[in-house]
Amino acid sequence: MNSNPHNTMSSAPNSDSGRNCGLDCGEDTLRLIAGLPAPAGLEERVHKALRAAPRSLVLGSGRVLAWPGRFRARIASGTALESNWMRAAAAAAIVFVVVGGGWGVYSRVQPGPAGNVIVMPQLMPSSGGIKGAGAIRVPATIPGPKVKQPAKKPATPKKAATGRHAASAPAPQPAVSQ
Amino acid sequence: MEIPTSAVNEEARRHAEDAAVSALVDQYAGALYRVAFSVLRNSSDAEDAVQEAFLRVLRHRDTLAEVRDHRVWLIRIVWNIVLDRKRRAKTRPETDDVSELARVLPSKGLSAEELAAAAQHHAHVLACVDRLPTKEREVLLLSAFEELSSVEIAAVLDITESSVRSRLFRARNLMAELLDHNRNLR
Repeated sequence: MNSNPHNTMSSAPNSDSGRNCGLDCGEDTLRLIAGLPAPAGLEERVHKALRAAPRSLVLGSGRVLAWPGRFRARIASGTALESNWMRAAAAAAIVFVVVGGGWGVYSRVQPGPAGNVIVMPQLMPSSGGIKGAGAIRVPATIPGPKVKQPAKKPATPKKAATGRHAASAPAPQPAVSQ
Repeated sequence: MEIPTSAVNEEARRHAEDAAVSALVDQYAGALYRVAFSVLRNSSDAEDAVQEAFLRVLRHRDTLAEVRDHRVWLIRIVWNIVLDRKRRAKTRPETDDVSELARVLPSKGLSAEELAAAAQHHAHVLACVDRLPTKEREVLLLSAFEELSSVEIAAVLDITESSVRSRLFRARNLMAELLDHNRNLR
């Protein structure tokens, strides 16, 4: 059965591809399992499964864009994960290009210099009507209690000037005795 | 009424592709089953994996002409499928390897007792295989297939041939250690 001279497990016992363990390494078990015959009628059952496969599955899953030819064989042999990973990477690359392009345009376009500002006269409201002319309405207040004015005291005579001011001050008039 | 030439060509092409897929089924279904069984160790799961692999081939049948080595390509497809299934099955309880092995292993010239002991031994070896690191385990499993050369194993696993050899070296050493360790424990 072993017709392949390159097989690593069927190499000579003194080969350097691992410990020479023979049966001890459990390779007999692995070989036994690897040599098991396929169950009878397997091919027929596979044919039947392929015939019963839904049309959509056979014709593909309706992708809008197909991978380039040299990638398709790799994707077919790989897991769905690999295919999905590549799709996600491609989608991320597209998003990156679009966002990057948008940002590039945005960052290059500078806002133009501000034009000469002309102050326009304020437009009067066109509705018309009577103006208040700046009058402020003052609310009427309650009159408070009236306080009596204290009686006026008679004026007291001024004190005589003393010290330095006395010289400059006019001399007091002598009191006139009556 | 005239039938367009493109429609005729398309139909003929489809028939040719269907015939090619059918030929692949006849030629490689057994080999793919063995690869699947070596990982899943359950005959019905292995058969499901083979069917899924050919459904995938049917889906990508327009790429058949671009594939250089159909056998390696198909083994790679089924290999990825069974690894995926095995990963998902980790959450489920392990299948009873001993009884499954006793059912499928050849029993010519063996008494029931010997058969049970052989199944026990094989299950024990497979338990040790399961304890190997993933990279080493994969190479060891594929190297058991005498149809596959180290170059083809490298193509299936998408690694270099020297990596195959070094991983196989490590796998054998680890297996010997595990089996020695278990033997000493007994």
